[in-house]
Amino acid sequence: MYPIEVTINGKKYKHEVEARLLLVHYIREKARLTGTHVGCDTGNCGACTVLYHGKPIKSCLMLAVQANGAELATIEGMATKSGLHPIQESFLDKFGFQCGYCTPGMILGAKALLEKSPDPSEEEIREALEGNLCMCTGYQQIIDSIRDAAEKSQKSEKKTPAGAQSK
Amino acid sequence: MMKLDEIFATRNWVGKPIRRDADIRFVKGEGEYVDDLPIECSHVAILRSVYAHARILKVDTSKAEAMPGVLAVITGDEVAKVTKPVPARAITKPAVQYVMATGKVRYVGEPVAAVVAQDRYLAEDALEQIEVEYEPLPPVVEIQDALNPDSPLLFEEAGSNILMQDTLQHGDVEKAFREADLTIRESFKMHRYSSTPLENWVIIAQYDRPSDSYTVWANDQQHGRSILNICTMMGIPNSHFRLIIPDAGGGFGIKLALWPYIVFLCLLAKKVDGPIKWVQTRREHLLAGTHAPECEVEVEFALRKDGKILGLKFKDIDNDGSFVHTAGIYGMIKFATLVGSYAIRATEAEMISVVTNKGPTVQNRGVGKPTMIFVLERMIDIAAKQLGIDPIEMRQRNFVQPAQMPYTTPSGEIYESGDYPECLRRALQLMGYDDFKKKQEEWRKQGRHVGIGISASIEPGTSNLGYYYTARGTPEYMGNAEGAIVGIDYDGNPSVMIGSVDEGQGHATTVSQVVADMLAIHPDLVTVRTHLDSLISPFLGHSGCYSNRFNDVDLGAVIMATKKIRDKMLRIAAHALEAKPEELKLKDGQICSSVDPSRTIPFKEIAALAYKKVLLLPEGEEPGLKEIAYYKSTMAKLPSKTDFNVQITHSNSVHVAAVEVDVETGLVKFLKYVIVHDCGNQLNPGIVEGMVIGSTVHGIGAVLLEEFIYNEDGQLVTTSFMDYMKPVAAGLPHFESGHMVSPCPYTLLGTKSVGEGGAIGSLAAVGNAVEDALTPFGVRVKTLPITPEKVVRAVEETKVI
Repeated sequence: MYPIEVTINGKKYKHEVEARLLLVHYIREKARLTGTHVGCDTGNCGACTVLYHGKPIKSCLMLAVQANGAELATIEGMATKSGLHPIQESFLDKFGFQCGYCTPGMILGAKALLEKSPDPSEEEIREALEGNLCMCTGYQQIIDSIRDAAEKSQKSEKKTPAGAQSK
Repeated sequence: MMKLDEIFATRNWVGKPIRRDADIRFVKGEGEYVDDLPIECSHVAILRSVYAHARILKVDTSKAEAMPGVLAVITGDEVAKVTKPVPARAITKPAVQYVMATGKVRYVGEPVAAVVAQDRYLAEDALEQIEVEYEPLPPVVEIQDALNPDSPLLFEEAGSNILMQDTLQHGDVEKAFREADLTIRESFKMHRYSSTPLENWVIIAQYDRPSDSYTVWANDQQHGRSILNICTMMGIPNSHFRLIIPDAGGGFGIKLALWPYIVFLCLLAKKVDGPIKWVQTRREHLLAGTHAPECEVEVEFALRKDGKILGLKFKDIDNDGSFVHTAGIYGMIKFATLVGSYAIRATEAEMISVVTNKGPTVQNRGVGKPTMIFVLERMIDIAAKQLGIDPIEMRQRNFVQPAQMPYTTPSGEIYESGDYPECLRRALQLMGYDDFKKKQEEWRKQGRHVGIGISASIEPGTSNLGYYYTARGTPEYMGNAEGAIVGIDYDGNPSVMIGSVDEGQGHATTVSQVVADMLAIHPDLVTVRTHLDSLISPFLGHSGCYSNRFNDVDLGAVIMATKKIRDKMLRIAAHALEAKPEELKLKDGQICSSVDPSRTIPFKEIAALAYKKVLLLPEGEEPGLKEIAYYKSTMAKLPSKTDFNVQITHSNSVHVAAVEVDVETGLVKFLKYVIVHDCGNQLNPGIVEGMVIGSTVHGIGAVLLEEFIYNEDGQLVTTSFMDYMKPVAAGLPHFESGHMVSPCPYTLLGTKSVGEGGAIGSLAAVGNAVEDALTPFGVRVKTLPITPEKVVRAVEETKVI
């Protein structure tokens, strides 16, 4: 057993884990954050996507011990007390989910994309989502949701006076 | 049948794209899938056969049982001793199969034993310590192997690997073929694939010793039948089995077949203290989690010179693998679309189901109808070419016309409404078809291979479950029906419970829209419980999420129960307000008099009368405000071989795809894709749009990418998403859709089916487009999927995909 310490959504977690425990199982079973899902076990579907130091990774392809000391973000950290994250709002507005199983991975993937490229084209979004499978929507309404989130954030940035901190 | 004006008090919500706030948990990561439930479990791992066909000589579990952390082990022999065999529905030969292999294994991945341990990692370790001695038998893998009388038998008691064979004639087939100017005959092969929900199967089972009963949490998709099967097979009273179904991560039919696993998980749960959990891995899902069967089809058209199709002969052989419960149904269900959108008046269909040492098959999205429409729409193009008629004209000359509605097909299917010719016209217009055709010529000169394919299809909904048994003649299920409970809570707000489940279609939102408009309130005030608990949910043998039945029977039950509660509220209000019931109306959570607006009573007060101040109720009125209603689909016939309807509602659509084929790499690229569909009245267009596009992508995966490939030993070689390829966002077209509305006269809300349409219609659109693109090479599309490898080989050598 190995001691590990990770920060998930700003909260510290400490556990003793077996070397073979996958990070996704750690997040789901030890940290009890079940919004991160398992869909394929082979890194193809992206249902287990989390942000690792801000970058999207497949948590089924990493051991929990490898994440020792890491800063992770999961879907549970997206909404704040004041409400849903704008990307979550857009997924509701544009019907960007059906069964919801891929949704956490899609939303985290979208967050990482929009941070890197705030106004992505449809093609850019399609490329960025290549590692996330959705079996329900055919992706179109997910892409609409991400475009919607980008457009709304572009608009709100234009409204923000120069020099002011936009969040 | 009630009119819409009688059903709705307001028209504020139904028909609008209301956000799925009822399911807000999904965007927050708070979905409650079975594996997420906070139930401390020990864990199950399943030992699966490594052979396609073998006798089991010995299973020694002693080493595994002795391992620290292992709590219990079960084997197939033990399961067979205490359970009944799996019931068959469509096949006509005897075939004895248990939920775990006993005596012999019939496919790679068949469960042979299972272990419960403190965690999954330990359970997997324990599987390695189980020693199984096999005597390999020659495998029966492909359809032709199964048809060969010298092949070994999967089920000796059946005396054949053909478990169902039936030929049904409707109309004067002999005359049609005698009077034909010409006949054309083709054969096609459809491959084995699956819509693979992103959430695999998960089951938690708990045994309660004092009451000798079981509680199971599972993502089962057709629980009505599952519960009955499980209780019968285990020999336990219904009251000793409770099934709870929370959120499910997609179904697409593939979760109709997890109930056999519930049986042996219950047996295992009885051996240990506390709940046990099995989470299917993706490899297990692809290997043994059920597929759509591959099939070989022969089809013959009797044609007049002017393009009119006089008759159709169809022969269908399905490789149903090794699950006797559902074997045979893929043939029978094809009758729902046997003539597609066309007024063909004479049909002969021979349906054959064979068993092989491939994995189990079950009703995958569209169930056989993707094949039927693929074959018909390919045939239309082939016939058009042969007759020198434009493929569009060919379709227009054969369509069932709007004036013929409701139209009964030769076998008895009733197409209730729709304008198929107009649907095609609109799709072509949206495509800019004429323009594309002109450009196609120029592109060809430039060496670009662009093709356009059309597919006109029918999307049936609401199964008349009697059809399964048409060949057997003794139906155990008939028609289709659902139950619902609607109550007004103490606070005056309604809550709804349905006997069915949601696989991700947003039922809660749609139900809240309907109830809101029936009671003249805001949908946010309506609580809809989509999780099923068999202890309290009003389920029936038909209950489940399948065959696009929600809009018909689920909502039918909700409407009837809401109507009952509304009538009761009106009676109580009339008494309280001393008004006549007919002068009352519902408005903003109140019932008020239209004669004297000062006389109003809020729902909350009506609830108080019903629940608390019961002495003030009208004479003879029962206390309480909760009603249950069951609703049965109105048009299901008793099945007979001469006249039967497989499904009750029939949406229609036209898909038009423009593709460019790279003949060097074999890749098919979409240039444009349009869908015009008619599902009757739409209740929530945002949800409908997702269903239409999502199902189309299922079809595109099937037509271009996905295939379960077995080698000659019966080993599946595509066991992960690395080799079983699913569509990703990149490479798909941006779909353009158009809608028509031909309300269904036989459903309460005028709705038809939505959810499977694209999975049915898209295959032929893409197949026809690829063949059109490769016309200069004389390549013909006769098998699916259209993989790059097959395209290149066809262009260079074989001329056939």
